[in-house]
Amino acid sequence: MAEPAIDVRGVWKGFHDARRDQTVIAIENFSFSAAPGEFICVLGPSGCGKSTLLRILADLDTQDLGEVRVNGHASVVFQEHGVFPWLSVEDNVGYPLKVRGVGRAERRRRVAPLLDLIGLTDFKGAYPHQLSGGMRQRTSVARALADDGEVLLMDEPFGALDEQTRLVLQQELLRIWQDSGKTVVFITHSVDEALTLADRVLVMSARPGRLLADVAVPFGRPRDILELRRDPRYGEVTYELWRLLRADAATSASPEEVAP
Amino acid sequence: MTTTDGPKSSAREDLERRLRGRRPGSALKFIGPFSPLLLLVVWEAASRGGLLDARFFPPPTSIAGTFWELLTTGTLLEHSLITLTRVGIGIVLGGVPGLVLGIAFGAVQWLRVLAGPIFASLLPIPKIAILPLLLLIFGVEETSKYVIVAIGVFFYIFYNTMGGVLQTPPIYFDVARTSGASRWRTWSTVALPAALPSIFTGLKLAVGGAFVVIAASEFLGSRTGVGYMIWSAWQTLAVSKMFVGIVTISLLGYLAGLLVALVERRLVPWSRQ
Repeated sequence: MAEPAIDVRGVWKGFHDARRDQTVIAIENFSFSAAPGEFICVLGPSGCGKSTLLRILADLDTQDLGEVRVNGHASVVFQEHGVFPWLSVEDNVGYPLKVRGVGRAERRRRVAPLLDLIGLTDFKGAYPHQLSGGMRQRTSVARALADDGEVLLMDEPFGALDEQTRLVLQQELLRIWQDSGKTVVFITHSVDEALTLADRVLVMSARPGRLLADVAVPFGRPRDILELRRDPRYGEVTYELWRLLRADAATSASPEEVAP
Repeated sequence: MTTTDGPKSSAREDLERRLRGRRPGSALKFIGPFSPLLLLVVWEAASRGGLLDARFFPPPTSIAGTFWELLTTGTLLEHSLITLTRVGIGIVLGGVPGLVLGIAFGAVQWLRVLAGPIFASLLPIPKIAILPLLLLIFGVEETSKYVIVAIGVFFYIFYNTMGGVLQTPPIYFDVARTSGASRWRTWSTVALPAALPSIFTGLKLAVGGAFVVIAASEFLGSRTGVGYMIWSAWQTLAVSKMFVGIVTISLLGYLAGLLVALVERRLVPWSRQ
């Protein structure tokens, strides 16, 4: 088998809560690996440490114990508000090129097909405050594509969008990813989103974040995310994932462990 | 299917008509900006009628006459240009270091912790209180005027820039880092533009402050400028001339503020919601 694109072994991450003088474990002994070109969703409740895991993969944070190997450069699509309000759509998308010293004309040339890909060519001169939430996240995705890492890390990028817009963007993301060969780690708290997008779903427990299950998604590629919902297996896997999450919620919801 | 087109469109027209009519008093809105004129009319009448002491409050028409006289002889323009030059040079002299240090202090925590208290302890000193010291060091020539304006301006720009950088959502710095931006690039492409709206708030305050400081400085440490004009008018009891000076310096401050607002609209287009 080829070398994994991402290899995480026994990672721990903790914080010291000075106010209460206690140590909070965010991630506990977390291991997984991703093959090149694989689409992985990390599913878990809010505050389970899944964003911390992504920050470690993106090298924005370091683990306290364990090993993390990411093969190649990782590009990140952040949660909403990740686009710069002072740059136009075109300049936002071209930002990673700019900070690497790519000239203006060359930047324009390389950004144009990406704007086309996400359908924002007509809005390239607009500022983020003039855009809808969906258009802002399209910009964010295009910027990560301009960054062109072998690995794409996505931190609940569609979490703040309405359901319809989210479905459209999920379908587009799959279309774009399909031809790219990129390895994706996509963070979400939505069971439906995880099932719609992923090859494998890593189910994470409530704090401290542990790996509860590594679930293979049975649907093939390319996917029609609407037709998917008619597949009898969709209901089964949905049930299986909810069962895992519920069992975890029941054991971890003792009052003193509820996140502040 | 029944056609409800007829009554529906007439209901719509009716609604549109009513909504259009609901625009609140456009006549009042038009008159509003001119209400200060009423004050002048009352002043004029009171001063001429003896209700106001004309020695302290000469009628506005007589002030306008003096204004015209000072304008045509070139005296007013000369003093105004001197004051404007002092303010302009002082703003650049204090604004640039305020901007650079503000970004540095906002972005580098150890610098802020270590050297922040120095500026915090200097801030409460009334700037005009150190004018005699500056006159001693820089002499009564122009340099002392530039420096006192610069000191006043520095604090406004420094604290507003630092505040702007500190209030930048951390996610923007994360974007810069994952995009591979160097430290220098992060400052120029994230910290500076993110702080720009706050910097302009500081600049507007600084311009206002600069005119206060320069007027007071020209009272005592100068034989030129609009401030000197006001002061010398007091000494010669030329009350009309004093009012002309007051109006002129207010006008200059107002126009300078407009200029800043204009530049802001060009440089911070994203905050124009």
